[in-house]
Amino acid sequence: MATGPAGVTADPAIATPETSQPPAALAARTSEAVKVYGRGDASVRALDGVTVGFAKGQFTAIMGPSGSGKSTLLHCVAGLDRLTSGEVYIGEVELSGLGDRQLTMLRRVKVGFIFQSYNLVPTLSAEDNIVLPLTIAGRKADPAALAEVVRITGLGDRLRHRPNELSGGQQQRVAAARALASQPEIIFADEPTGNLDSRSTTELLDFLSRAVETLGQTIVMVTHDPLAAAHADRIVFLADGRVVEEVHAPTADTVLDVMRHLGG
Amino acid sequence: MLKISLRSLLSHKLRLALTTLAVILGVSFVAGTFILTDTINATFTSIFNAANAGVAVTVHGLQIAGQDNAIGGARNHPVPTSLLATVRGVDGVKDAVGNIFRNGASLIGSDGKPVGGNGGGEPAFGANWIADPEISPYHLRSGVAPRQPGDVVVDAGTASKSHLVVGQALPIVFGGGAEEHFTITGIAGYGTSDNLAGATIALFTEATAERVLEGQNMYDSILVSAQSGVTDIALRDRIAATLPASAEATTGQAAAAAAELSTETTINTFIGTPLLVFAFISLFVGCFLIINTFNILVAQRTRELALLRALGATRAQVLRSVLIEAGVTGLVASILGFGVGILIASLLLSLFGSALTSNLSLQPRTFIVAVVVGTLVTVLAATLPARRATRISPVAALSEALPETQALPRRRIIAGAVILTIGCAALIAGLFAGTGSALQLVGVGFLGVFLGVALLAPLLVAPIATVLGWPVRRLRGAPGLLAAENARRNPRRTALTAAALMIGLALVTCVAVLTDSVRASTNNAIAGAFRADFIVFDQGPSFNSQAATALTHDSKLADVTEVRSTSVLIKGSSQDIAAIDPSNLSKVLALTMLGGDASTIASTNTAIVDSSEATSSNLHVGQVVSFNFPQGATVPIHIAGIYKANALVTGYLVSLATMQPNVPTARDDLVLANAAPGVSQTDAAAALHHDVAAYPLLLAKSRDEYRAFVGASLDSFLNLVTTLLAFAIIIAVLGIANTLALSVLERTRELGLLRALGLTRSQTRSMVRWESVIISLLGAVLGLVVGTVLGVVVASALSSLGIDTISIPGGNLIIYAVGAGVFGVLAAIVPTIRAARVDILRAITTE
Repeated sequence: MATGPAGVTADPAIATPETSQPPAALAARTSEAVKVYGRGDASVRALDGVTVGFAKGQFTAIMGPSGSGKSTLLHCVAGLDRLTSGEVYIGEVELSGLGDRQLTMLRRVKVGFIFQSYNLVPTLSAEDNIVLPLTIAGRKADPAALAEVVRITGLGDRLRHRPNELSGGQQQRVAAARALASQPEIIFADEPTGNLDSRSTTELLDFLSRAVETLGQTIVMVTHDPLAAAHADRIVFLADGRVVEEVHAPTADTVLDVMRHLGG
Repeated sequence: MLKISLRSLLSHKLRLALTTLAVILGVSFVAGTFILTDTINATFTSIFNAANAGVAVTVHGLQIAGQDNAIGGARNHPVPTSLLATVRGVDGVKDAVGNIFRNGASLIGSDGKPVGGNGGGEPAFGANWIADPEISPYHLRSGVAPRQPGDVVVDAGTASKSHLVVGQALPIVFGGGAEEHFTITGIAGYGTSDNLAGATIALFTEATAERVLEGQNMYDSILVSAQSGVTDIALRDRIAATLPASAEATTGQAAAAAAELSTETTINTFIGTPLLVFAFISLFVGCFLIINTFNILVAQRTRELALLRALGATRAQVLRSVLIEAGVTGLVASILGFGVGILIASLLLSLFGSALTSNLSLQPRTFIVAVVVGTLVTVLAATLPARRATRISPVAALSEALPETQALPRRRIIAGAVILTIGCAALIAGLFAGTGSALQLVGVGFLGVFLGVALLAPLLVAPIATVLGWPVRRLRGAPGLLAAENARRNPRRTALTAAALMIGLALVTCVAVLTDSVRASTNNAIAGAFRADFIVFDQGPSFNSQAATALTHDSKLADVTEVRSTSVLIKGSSQDIAAIDPSNLSKVLALTMLGGDASTIASTNTAIVDSSEATSSNLHVGQVVSFNFPQGATVPIHIAGIYKANALVTGYLVSLATMQPNVPTARDDLVLANAAPGVSQTDAAAALHHDVAAYPLLLAKSRDEYRAFVGASLDSFLNLVTTLLAFAIIIAVLGIANTLALSVLERTRELGLLRALGLTRSQTRSMVRWESVIISLLGAVLGLVVGTVLGVVVASALSSLGIDTISIPGGNLIIYAVGAGVFGVLAAIVPTIRAARVDILRAITTE
């Protein structure tokens, strides 16, 4: 592959020189990813040739205005949706050649998810929800790893509760713990803070950052919240289905600057 | 609001499809039953009208007490042949003929078995040929009337069905006796039909009919035609004036009408009412499905309904909108159900063969009943969910999704307990109190028990689902865990779905327990009270005593004992009494005496009686009761002993000598015999079978064979009931499929989430399938427990019929449980497909 370890951006003017990044293995990447919805005149190019990589152990945020293709990119990289053309890899596995069963197995083993809402199975306790991907795979949770996940989520006394007995923030932390518990190669979070108040948002983002720092987890998060994005190591900006900007080690201010710049 | 209801209906038409199907099945059963019985009745009506067309007046004896209804008319006493001359002498009588028309002339085919009929034990009539074409219901189609003693004319229906032709030799058995040989001289129709709705008719000269049908110088009726200018009524009155008190005159029309009425009552009693009971059960089970569907629809439309409320719709409007949706569904389903009912009726009628020639009788009443019942049931069942819909507050439009599980309200628990208690009380009262309306009380009792258990069932869902879910969890991992949790998540929905299956299974189980108890009790009786080595009987009415005489002369057999019966009136109610030769009594029967001595019946006009009859009629040894015999004699009978009832012998037992003078003919119900001393069972059995071979209608069985025979007939009864309950069970299975399909729809997002988290399609299918199996097994557990309890209770109430052993057929119960599991898998087929097809992306991105 011609792409560099940190990914290639579409706009050379703002692109970070590849050489400035320490070489790192990629947890996932796309190459010339194109996704077209509909046919003929009604067709929409949600992704228009996106080539991007997500380094292991890095917290990447994907931002962009509505319709920029950020959710589509996430769904395609996560194996929930298929590209119209181009390639997408998780580790060294190219996804477009996989059938439904293989994709399911890949999601089960290598991928973790946090969604905006409806993240938990209402009939299961918090603990059962956390170990659900392992249960589905017929694996047993590593008690030590599980205890560690539970410890950093601070859910210790809530494990026996059902989702409807938990607050929104607690529910999202259970979802995060679930994503971590199976120790996947990469976690995809789709607007995870979208339904949370500011305190729960901060708690969840702190938790995700800690997972990256202490557990070396790879996280890719779609968000439209600049404060949330500022928790990431790197932000990829999309517009009209293309990568238009990339920021490393962002702060809330730099994010807002870029957004203003893109918007203008 | 009507527009909204209809819109909603259209957008839910898939969700209502299974509900519609359930109503269609229930209604079609009702409509099919009516069409079937109407058609059968119409067939008889046209037969009787045609047969009586030329008869102005019929003269017959008085009605036999206790024998109100039979196919072909109430059974009347015969009149003496001498009365014919009297009737002929009445002014205005053109012609009068004596008519002998009796059951018990079986035509024997080349295979040695009775021909004609449909194998359903239809009557085989014998009659005298009536020459006068105006009066005679018989019309020659080919050949000539019988003239010689060996001549017979057979009905056209039997002739064509069994390929009988003029000139052919035809053996005929009268009253289960030995074959006699006849030659067919003609083929005749009955009225305008081929025969009497499937029954065979053999026509002889009057002298032959008198002999073979044991006329004893009596006619069953005298048929009279009128001279022109004399009305039927005038002639009837003139004839009546000449008759002795023991005879009556009726116009031909009235006779036909009476025959019709009696036939209709008989058909309704034996076909219509039982079928309607099963149709009602199907509709009752259908109600569960309807309630569940509308409950789920209302739950799924909470936001929409709340929005309507917020926009100003009143509670009444919301109620109406749900009920209109139910009403339209019920109406459409009922009309379709009527159509399916026509199909079912014609299918069933085609099983009767060509015997019922007339067209399907589609009466407006059938359509009205079908549509009203179907629509009403649907609307009434939807009332509960509709009332729930009215309680949705406008705020619900704005709030998050409601929690799915709600605690069972105390009101409902109390209601369930009260209804269950009332049901049990009604059942106990019906079974044990011996009141006149016992059957109705038992029906109410069953209904109450089912409703009560259904109301309380949500309490059982969690514990039972946990127990049933445990192995599934072990076996199937995550899908098993999720299946068990899903089965528990909405206890009311699960309970209602399972309760529908419970009803069908409980009824099957109840009947299985009953038949098994009868079997066990019969086996007990065969092992205990039944001492004879062999039993000879026929499956029709009683049989000629020629056979017993032949067995008595066989040196390989001993203790040949005839058992006869007749019905008598005791204290105003009709009872069958049995008569036996007392000299061999102890050698063929070992009755357990609770008082007195069985051998006392050797004295004339002495009886022994079983203990439960003694208790219920308040009889004790030494008392005298009056027997009113059908022929009119009233005989005081001395009660000399009380025995313990068993499955083979119950009621009053007298000697042959006591009964014989009071009944017209000597017919055996069964003959018991032992192997002669020193003769092996095998040799004796061979001799017996050789002797009985001359009597084609008789069956000869050893004790073991008899036990197997009784078992087989119980099995076929159980199979019949199971078949009739199949509709109810199919509807319940549809209900499971319906609940699952709606649940899958409701859980789309959750399914999407699970799929995203790595649940494969096959695991998804497995999850839904196991939920279905758990619901089915829950229904099975409820059904088997409730059915067993009901069966045991009903069986213990039948001790007066000699049911002294309660037996629970474990093998059957296991089969039913496994069957329920299989139904669960079948019910899940469509929902699993839908669940596996869920589009992950759409499921998780849809707000």
